[in-house]
Order: sequence, then C-alpha cells, then structure tokens
Amino acid sequence: MSKAKKKHRLVDTKEPNLVEDIFVHSLPPLIRFEGAAIENIDGEAVEFDFAGIKDRPIVITDTTFRDGQQARPPYTIEQMVHIYDLLSKLSGPNGVIRQTEFFLYTKNDRETLDRCRALGHKYPECTGWIRAVKGDFRLVKEAGLTESGMLTSCSDYHIFQKLKFRTRKECMESYCEVVDAAFEAGVRPRCHLEDITRADIEGFVLPFVERLMEMSEKVPEEQRAKIRLCDTMGFGISYPGAELPRSIPKLIYKLNREVGVPSDRLEWHGHNDFHKVHTNAGTAWLYGCDAVNTTLFGFGERTGNPPLEGAVMEYIALKGDTCGIDTMVITELANYMRSIGLPIPDNYPFAGRAFNTTRAGIHAGGLRQDERIYNIFDTEKLLGKPARVAITDKSGADGVAHWLNEFFGLKGEDRINKIRVHKLARWVIDQYEVEGRLTAISDQELEAKAKEFFPDHWAKYAEAK
Amino acid sequence: MATVEERVKAVTAQVLKLNVDEIKNEDNFTSDLGAESVQSIELVAMFEEEFGIEMDEDAALSVETVGAAVEFIANVCKEQGVKVEE
Repeated sequence: MSKAKKKHRLVDTKEPNLVEDIFVHSLPPLIRFEGAAIENIDGEAVEFDFAGIKDRPIVITDTTFRDGQQARPPYTIEQMVHIYDLLSKLSGPNGVIRQTEFFLYTKNDRETLDRCRALGHKYPECTGWIRAVKGDFRLVKEAGLTESGMLTSCSDYHIFQKLKFRTRKECMESYCEVVDAAFEAGVRPRCHLEDITRADIEGFVLPFVERLMEMSEKVPEEQRAKIRLCDTMGFGISYPGAELPRSIPKLIYKLNREVGVPSDRLEWHGHNDFHKVHTNAGTAWLYGCDAVNTTLFGFGERTGNPPLEGAVMEYIALKGDTCGIDTMVITELANYMRSIGLPIPDNYPFAGRAFNTTRAGIHAGGLRQDERIYNIFDTEKLLGKPARVAITDKSGADGVAHWLNEFFGLKGEDRINKIRVHKLARWVIDQYEVEGRLTAISDQELEAKAKEFFPDHWAKYAEAK
Repeated sequence: MATVEERVKAVTAQVLKLNVDEIKNEDNFTSDLGAESVQSIELVAMFEEEFGIEMDEDAALSVETVGAAVEFIANVCKEQGVKVEE
C-alpha cells in the first residue's frame, strides 16, 4: 500500500482490444495468474504457485448419489444407472470426474453399484461411504470396492456434543481402530473430517491426521488414507489472511505441508450455506487439494454442495483446455434431471433454461451485433444452447429480430434484419400498451406469430424440422 | 404525382399519428415528433413500402430529421432506379 499514485495515459486506438487471449469464447474465459500468492501463516509469508495448477493432476469427484441424495427423495436404480452413464460420458477419457461414491447399506444400494459397474466405464471410479464402524468394512469388501469414505468428525461440536466421546483421545483411538479395520480389509479409507472449519486444528485435527499418516506408512501406497476436508456448515473462507479454523488456505497448508498429506490424497467437500461453495472449492484446488467433491447442479444437504458443472467450467478455465470433457452432456443431464422431477431454476448457471437469455432490448441489440458482447462464451458450441432473448415490452425490435433468427436458425446474410420484423415488434408492443399485459411472451405465442408474419421462413423451418 | 417530401411527410404522419401540416423538414423524428424505438423501425419499413426501395438498416436508422430523410430516400431511389418527383 506504500506506492504513490501513478498516472495512466489513454492508449487511443481504432482497433478494439477484446482481450481474446483470456476471453477465447470457444472456451469459458481462462483464469490466468501472475506471480505467487502470499498467505501469512504463523507469522511467515508463505508462497503458493497458482499458475502451476495447469500441470497439477487436479480432478473432480462426485457425491450426487450420497450427499446429493440426502437432499431429495431417493433416485430409482434405473435413474442412478443412467446418471452414472452420463457422468462417465461427461468425464471423458481422461477421467476428469474421477470418482463417485455410493451408499452400501441396502439391497438397492448394492444393486445400483453392481449395475453401474456392469457398464464397464473406467471413470468415474465407484467408491463407498460407510459409518465409522469397524464391521461396515465387510460391506465395502463384499462389494469389491477398494476405497470407502468413513466419518471421522473432528470438531468438538461433533466429538463431544453429538458423538458423546468423553475425551478427544478416546475419539481419536476409536477412529484409528476403524482405519485399522479398513487396512486389514485391504480397503483404502477416505477419512471425512466432518466440520473441520470449526474444529480445533492444532489441538485435534493435525495430531489425528499425523497419526493417520504414520499408520498409512505401514500399508501399500494404494491403500494409504485419503483426507477429505468437510466444510459441513459452509463456514470455510477463501480470503487471504482469514484465521483458522475457517481459512481454507491455512487448513490446506497445515495438512499438506506441515503434516505431509500429499495433494493427491487431499479432497475438499463444501456446503453452500453462505453462498461460497463454488469459490471455496476452487480455492481448495489452488492451495493444494487435488480433488474437489461436487454434486450435479449443486444438489445436496440443506443448501447443497459445489455444483459439478461449475467445477467442470472452472477446470477448463484453469487448464485452458477441455481435457476430453464432453460439456454438451451438462445439458443432457439437466434435461434428464428435470424430466425426473429435479427442479433447476431457469436462471441457474450453465443449465437453467434461461441462463443465457437476455430480456433487455439494448442487450439484444448487442447480441445482434456480436454475440460475444452478452454471451459468456460460445454456449451453443459447449452446451448446445445459443444465447437467447425473452420477449417483453423492453425487448425492442432488436430482441424480436434476435428471437426470430435463433428460432429459424438463420445465420450471416440470411438473418432477418430488424426492419423486416416491424409487424411482430408492433404486435409485441401492443400486447403491453394496448392489451395491458404484464407477463413475458411465451415461445409458443411467438411461434404462432412467426408463422403468421413470416410464412416463407416458416415453411422452410417446418420442412427442415 | 406527389413529391418525395410530401410522401415522406404523409408516411410520417400516418405512422406517428400526427397531422401532416404540423410536420416540418427540420423536425427531429425522436425529440420533436416523439418517435419511439419501434416506431422508428416502422417508419423505415413504411418508407421502403411507399417508395418500393430497400434501405441499409443502420444508415436509414441513423437519419435524424424529416429533411434528411427526404434527401436520403431521394438518393436511394436514384441508386435503385426508382423514379420520383423531386
């Protein structure tokens, strides 16, 4: 803050600078970094190399069938198998969506798992989720899984108030017994540190995880404990300088660099109680967690989890490449979820019916001149959803022309200019000024008018359809 | 046959629902005659129909006054071989 004021001269030009090295339009805008990020930890300035994320093996994991299902009536087996199939298609050959977890307690749970695995997909890998009960590893083993999550709640809210342990030591010993049982069963335990963002980090979390790392040294690499940082109540903070236990940078630093949990065995699991869920997950990636745990469309306990499709876009933005992800499947998944009764708000990013629909005529005018002005990226190419305008009294002839051209699928020279849409634009205005209408005009109404005012275009459209 | 000016004023009066005698060449379509956004589009469309011409959308919409419209339309008519009374 010590730098003096600096003069900034206008750089005049006739050529626009559209910053296309970042806003490439064929991909989500790229996230680029300059220099190291600094976090003050225990009185020392610690550097983090965010730019290095391009070369780190970061992945997305999924808990749609576990946390996601805790927030809604159960899916049928067929629904889960279909969603799993689509998740695999979305994930692509590189397995960016690396794992998904299943309950194992009921006959339906196990049949679902069997049928998903019978599809033969490499990714997402199927893992389990059990209580911190020794006997439950039998279920994991019987299901033929090599990894399972287990609850190892770590705040005193849970240790004393919920689980009724008399001391932290008693709690830690109990958890370690279950971890031992996992090792004995040949299963990799993924310890879910529930409520970590209000735990005593120095007094319980770090000693416990140190113990887990010591225990892990005695088993093969593929069985060593993974650590999931569960921000159970959404208390995590991404801001540099925030204090523990809420600071995500400090939590990850302590586990990763002080305790020595490798990045590929660290995973972030967030909740959206304070609207921070997506940014917190991205922050976890940047500071050293290789995995972020998500659910489709953010559906999860209470306010939900990091949305998987948001993580997909973040992944591409950080990597600068789709890395084999088939983003079109996001739209397929959204359509399927709607068809089985999962509500997705119209303005929900990437998947809502109207996420890239503008209502203002002046914005529609911008879209008409250059789609990039008001569309976040090429949503038609990546999601199969071209930018649209909703027609109201604010849409103007620009909005009407844009709607018509998108509806008829007209490009370039074939597009209808706004002079030609004057009759339809007048009909729209009269709906409000003469008829006293207060609602937006539906696509169905506009289609009927398009047929009436543009019979030639309609005939071609109907023939092509 | 009516002149370009008379025909432009007649169309303007019809679209904007004004008395033709109130329209002067120096009138600005928006600020003096009260043309709203969609009415500007309707004016251009009706001029095209009246004169049997096609006008460049952006150029036509950038014309601000009645007198400028008369001049613009007369030029387009000449370019497109449409005979009119000057």
